[in-house]
Amino acid sequence: MLRAKRALTNHPLMAIFGGLLIVSLVAASVMAEPSPQDGKAETQTPSDSDGDSDGDAKTADGDAKAEGDEEKEPTSFAGKLDKAFGDWVVKPLTSVLFYDFGSASWLGASVPLVVAWLAAGAVFFTVRMLFINFRAFWHAIRLTKGDYDDPSEPGEVSHFQALASALSATVGLGNIAGVAIAIGTGGPGAVIWIAVVGLLGMSMKFVECSLGQMYRKVLPDGTVSGGPMHYLKDGLANMGMAGFGKVLAFVFAVFCILASLGGGNTFQVVQAKGAVFQQLPESMQKPYMDYVYGGLMAFFVGIVIIGGIKRIGAAAGKIVPLMCGLYVTICLYIIFANIGQVGGAFKEIWDGAFTQSAAVGGLIGTLVIGIQRAVFSNEAGVGSASIAHSAARTDEPISEGIVALLEPFIDTVVICTMTALVIVLTDACNVDANQEFIKAKEGASLTAAAWKSQVWWFPYILAVAVTLFAYSTLISWSYYGERCSVLLFGQGASIIYRVIFVICAFLGALLGPSNVLDFSDLMIFCMAFVNVMGIALLSGQVKRRLDDYWSRYKKGELEPDVKYNNS
Amino acid sequence: MAWLPKKTVVVPIDFSDRSMPAMETALELVDSPSSIHAIYVMAELSEVDPGVLYGGIDDGERTQNSVDSLNKTFGDAKFAGFKPVVRLGDPGNEIVDYAKQANADLIVIPSHGRTGLEHLLLGSVAERVARLAKCPVLVLRG
Repeated sequence: MLRAKRALTNHPLMAIFGGLLIVSLVAASVMAEPSPQDGKAETQTPSDSDGDSDGDAKTADGDAKAEGDEEKEPTSFAGKLDKAFGDWVVKPLTSVLFYDFGSASWLGASVPLVVAWLAAGAVFFTVRMLFINFRAFWHAIRLTKGDYDDPSEPGEVSHFQALASALSATVGLGNIAGVAIAIGTGGPGAVIWIAVVGLLGMSMKFVECSLGQMYRKVLPDGTVSGGPMHYLKDGLANMGMAGFGKVLAFVFAVFCILASLGGGNTFQVVQAKGAVFQQLPESMQKPYMDYVYGGLMAFFVGIVIIGGIKRIGAAAGKIVPLMCGLYVTICLYIIFANIGQVGGAFKEIWDGAFTQSAAVGGLIGTLVIGIQRAVFSNEAGVGSASIAHSAARTDEPISEGIVALLEPFIDTVVICTMTALVIVLTDACNVDANQEFIKAKEGASLTAAAWKSQVWWFPYILAVAVTLFAYSTLISWSYYGERCSVLLFGQGASIIYRVIFVICAFLGALLGPSNVLDFSDLMIFCMAFVNVMGIALLSGQVKRRLDDYWSRYKKGELEPDVKYNNS
Repeated sequence: MAWLPKKTVVVPIDFSDRSMPAMETALELVDSPSSIHAIYVMAELSEVDPGVLYGGIDDGERTQNSVDSLNKTFGDAKFAGFKPVVRLGDPGNEIVDYAKQANADLIVIPSHGRTGLEHLLLGSVAERVARLAKCPVLVLRG
């Protein structure tokens, strides 16, 4: 706490900043309803948050958020604050990022600007880098295996460790809950689009992580610092756009801090809680359990990021690959147990992806949902992963970019597709009892129901897996947010950020899933919007480095024995 | 004739391009480089930094790297004999603490001259040192 005190006394502004954030968070928790365990959703969305301060949850079905929803004037301070936040922050951002050019009328489905932006980015980078996602795949595996590792090169961790720590941030509830939500709302066809976006996202991840390495700073003490905050600022300055780069880097850092508290924190907690609570006996499903779950999550995050108990954090990071393996094994078991229906399921998926289903606005509607959930899960284009990948020990920036392209593959092409196949095979979306999960956007609960329909004790494994995935994602995202706070507000901000992060982990258990998903989406897409703009401008530099690297690789000059003999 | 013969001068180093002029100014004030204590303050690493989690780097190794960096940056013969010092924590507090501990007679510190929003958000180490130090502080303007 001495550090906290010093941080506060060193910088009065930090105290004001921290105080304001805590006040607004407490206010948010006061107005938030306890999780709707009765399956009824709170239907506030960023675009219609009306400061429902009296705790009178709208429990009508999903349609309640229709335009006609009457605006009540909030009376309490918390309600007013929430309304102001909704009106002045969330609404304007939503109207810009999710502006659809009226495409609902001429395309038959709404295509938000940011989704079109990300899709265009993924295709652009794949073509510009000449299908690096496919041609470098084998090389990526060899790099990750450590075939090219050289301990004397600058950096903090090996290629494999950098990939593992980035993966622990990406593999989370987005893979389990987000995908289930996509199938629930977009139909089985969303699977195809999730997988396609995963494949194209590999190129986007390659570009941003190569840039992270190219513009990282190796400090005098041997540690490194990299990520979009650096490459946007310094990279664009190299191209004569110093002012623009500075603005992008600043905006990115602000969104990254907020996203770390949303998608990297509260979203994980609220969804994991859903899957765990569903397994509890009726007698234990009491409102106070929200506080218990939130408290436990906050405690275990706190002892690592504030208490400094590194072993637990390291264990959580190392357990992720193991949990991924277990998760995929169970999914494969369910797929083989239903092998007879697999043909039918594929037909359903194929038809859903390419034919017009009226429910979500046809092909385009399904596509939009698929892109949104895939990006939310694998963070390609968001820029966050390049913060972790910058720490890799190498003097070849391109090599870490190539390692990074495995990330969307593992996260999306393998894990998300597994979740999706299981949901489609078990027909979980069409079971009456599951409709309330879809409406409430409790995706993890939907996956749990799908697993339960196969073997009764599978959901217990899922409950453990989601809690661990959520926990490791929280730990990793706290690092991203902390880096950005330090860059914006100086070293003193570090401890304040960490305290706020722990408070949010607790609040996550009290908030409604729908609210949290909307806010998390918004922040992740804000990061992506800024980052993709920057990396598109910088992609020429990556291309030149890649061509040089690839020609040396093809000539065999990068093979460890050749490299040592030459140097 | 040196201004401060046989006295201790502390020079905070952040490895920016203003560090070299600060060392040179300090050199003009003393009669021997051995009176100069060049201090670099490392930031505390986040507990969840990949390097910390996977044990790729620790504070002992960082301190050694920092001492090496100081010796390398000021490797010129004219600085021979200066004392490299590495601390961990908040730069402002650590510099002042060290100056007190070493009974420094003067701190020579460059100022970044950040203005506007950046100054408001990030503050200034030089300002903090000037405010908290128990000995005279020479702030070099850029």
